[in-house]
Amino acid sequence: MRELTYVEATLEALDGAMARDPSIFVVGEGIGERGGNFNTTVGLYDKYGPERLCDTPISERGFVGMCAGAAMTGTRPVVDFMFLDFILDAFGELVNQIAKMQYMSSGRLKMPILLRGAIGIGHSAATHHSGSYYPIFAHLPGFRVVVPAIPSDAKGLFTTALQSDDPVLFLEHKSLLFNRGAVPEGDYAIPFGQARIARAGTDCTLVAIGSMVDKTLAVCEKLAEDGISAELIDPRTIAPLDMATILESVSKTGRLLIVDETFQPCGVGAEIAAQAVDKGFDDLDAPIRRLNGAHVPTPYSPPLELAIVPESDDIEQSVRDLLAE
Amino acid sequence: MAYEVTMPRLGWTMEEGVFGEWLKQDGDEVKAGDLLFTVEGDKATQEVEVFESGILRLPQGAPAPGDVIPVGALLAYIAQAGESTPAAIAQAAPAGSQTGQKAPAPEDPAAEPAADPAGHKAPASQPVSADGRRAPAISPRARRIAAELGVDWTRITGSGRTGRIVERDVRAAAETVVEPLGVDISPVARRLAAEAGISLEELAAVTPGRRIQREDVEAAIAARRQTVPAQEAAAQVVPHSRIRRITAQRMAESAHTTAPVTLTTEADATELVALRQQLKASYSRRGLAVPGYNDIYLKLTACALQEHPALNASWSEEALHLHSEIHVGFAVETEQGLLAPVLRDVPAKSLRVIAAETVELIEGARRERLGHEAMQGGTFTITNLGMYGIDAFTPIINLPQIAILGIGRIICKPAVHDGQVVPRQMVALSLTFDHRAVDGAPAARFLNTIREYVSEPVLWLSA
Repeated sequence: MRELTYVEATLEALDGAMARDPSIFVVGEGIGERGGNFNTTVGLYDKYGPERLCDTPISERGFVGMCAGAAMTGTRPVVDFMFLDFILDAFGELVNQIAKMQYMSSGRLKMPILLRGAIGIGHSAATHHSGSYYPIFAHLPGFRVVVPAIPSDAKGLFTTALQSDDPVLFLEHKSLLFNRGAVPEGDYAIPFGQARIARAGTDCTLVAIGSMVDKTLAVCEKLAEDGISAELIDPRTIAPLDMATILESVSKTGRLLIVDETFQPCGVGAEIAAQAVDKGFDDLDAPIRRLNGAHVPTPYSPPLELAIVPESDDIEQSVRDLLAE
Repeated sequence: MAYEVTMPRLGWTMEEGVFGEWLKQDGDEVKAGDLLFTVEGDKATQEVEVFESGILRLPQGAPAPGDVIPVGALLAYIAQAGESTPAAIAQAAPAGSQTGQKAPAPEDPAAEPAADPAGHKAPASQPVSADGRRAPAISPRARRIAAELGVDWTRITGSGRTGRIVERDVRAAAETVVEPLGVDISPVARRLAAEAGISLEELAAVTPGRRIQREDVEAAIAARRQTVPAQEAAAQVVPHSRIRRITAQRMAESAHTTAPVTLTTEADATELVALRQQLKASYSRRGLAVPGYNDIYLKLTACALQEHPALNASWSEEALHLHSEIHVGFAVETEQGLLAPVLRDVPAKSLRVIAAETVELIEGARRERLGHEAMQGGTFTITNLGMYGIDAFTPIINLPQIAILGIGRIICKPAVHDGQVVPRQMVALSLTFDHRAVDGAPAARFLNTIREYVSEPVLWLSA
């Protein structure tokens, strides 16, 4: 199968959807002629023109609020935040309007808005350009939160996001954007709430999110040489969260580790662990473990940056510790 | 002191045996090497010889035909002239026992030992802190599995980092328990259950957390009498024979644990039929055992296994065991049920030797005189339903093996040969393999090799 980068995969999905559906338009900074800081809209300006690839000033609350209004009138805005950190400047619109509008209108209004941005730590982007924040959005009712790990998932989930009548946060880790992988041609949609079993195993269940999936997969292969059979699950969407697949795996292995770059307190790992204890208590053979990035603002210094993100050695040690329990 | 005759262990997994009959009488003089009694093992009745010369003394409570006796339990004495022996077995010290259990007097419930032979007690009957120990920490999963397997986890040492009992500890403990599923049952109740054909699991399900007693089994028998005739008044109740029960257990285990896939193909057996006719004419004239089709298939299968060693393997949860030797089992129908004696080192044997040995094995199987070991250690199995007019079928894998070959009837029918439709002798071959252990392509290549060998048997029988 032909290979595309992660960004090319989402671009293909966006291009195809824009060609079919004239109500889709993109809003953001530098997404017009420039094609997006992360090449998320390269070539689309020439195809669809300035009205559908609308460059904005630095005014997040303003353009997010306007897109909320546009979505209510039946169009399908795609808001490209470049660095997702700046979504926080539109937090009021997101939480008080976008997430609640369908409820407040008894479902008479839809909110088909796609909010995308690059997340995660890397390349010394420092503390204003390294956030992920997805646990915050997964905490709130009304949002779909998507964190693809591989190019083929990025395309299929982006297609689903463009068909959703609910607001979707589509979060792309910076370290994944230019990873290449096999991507099917043509249209296909991957439903939300269906985890992918990245690797089958019997000794322990590892749930990894976003950029941690490939890293953990490499660790699994290394551990296999020592006869350790780890099962790796990529939830793909945090909201909805496919707990059924995780619980089924835990019923087989009895041991669970969640690997996530974001902060540990009140995080996705905490949620998965709580549900696993609640619904799978009698399957657990060891305490549930979490491996997270450090609970600190992201440093600029490359060595410090490296130190706060779970790396292969940390993941391997955590798996070994889990199996020793 | 008089020599003690005990229940021998006749196979690796044997924990108890059904006593068959005494071949000598009380007071008979016996010599070392004489056959003394018979035991019904897992699938065969075996004659047991005595290792000491003297006079056989059967004390009171000596086993009667049909008694279920734990391995190592005292059966009788061999005394020297003038030597006295205990009058009854119940007072006798355990002898030669691997687990140190007492030999119970089967008729006397009062003689039931307090613990089952492995020393396990049901958790309910033993307060956790009775001996002053704190209950050890245990994972929720291990606790659940201990309950499922009937293991008293308060006596297990945990292997977790903090001494916590984890799943593997419970499973290891369960394997050392004598009962098949860790069922705690009195000897009397066990014998009654065996006679009535009531499974221990069934009993354990209605008596969770406590020892199964004679009353429980009697209640189960009574309940069955009420329910079965009510549903089907004219039905005949046939209690399971020992072989039927073991066959059922093994088939169910295979069906439930393997990932079976059956491949079928058709081989041109025209040359094989011609060869067999030649063998028949020539061998019978010389008074030799005539190799049957089965013998030829055995040899050809072994040749194919040499070419495809991945199919000559056993499965365990931890690993696949590839065998260096090729021992092929073959299914034999007997009055008692299905048996699968094993022909050893098939590649090293000529067709003549194979023919002579399979005659003996089949005869032994039909007369119930095959030793336990004659049916152990197979690395592959073949089963032939051709004589019943069957073509393809889906045989069940004989665990822990990973594949089985089913052979159909040889039938003359139109086939394309050298570009012409002509009558040819064709045979259907069915290979069931365990997809956990081997993938479709290598299994298909193996079956194809057998197909080729069947069509050119002389090349491979003489190889």
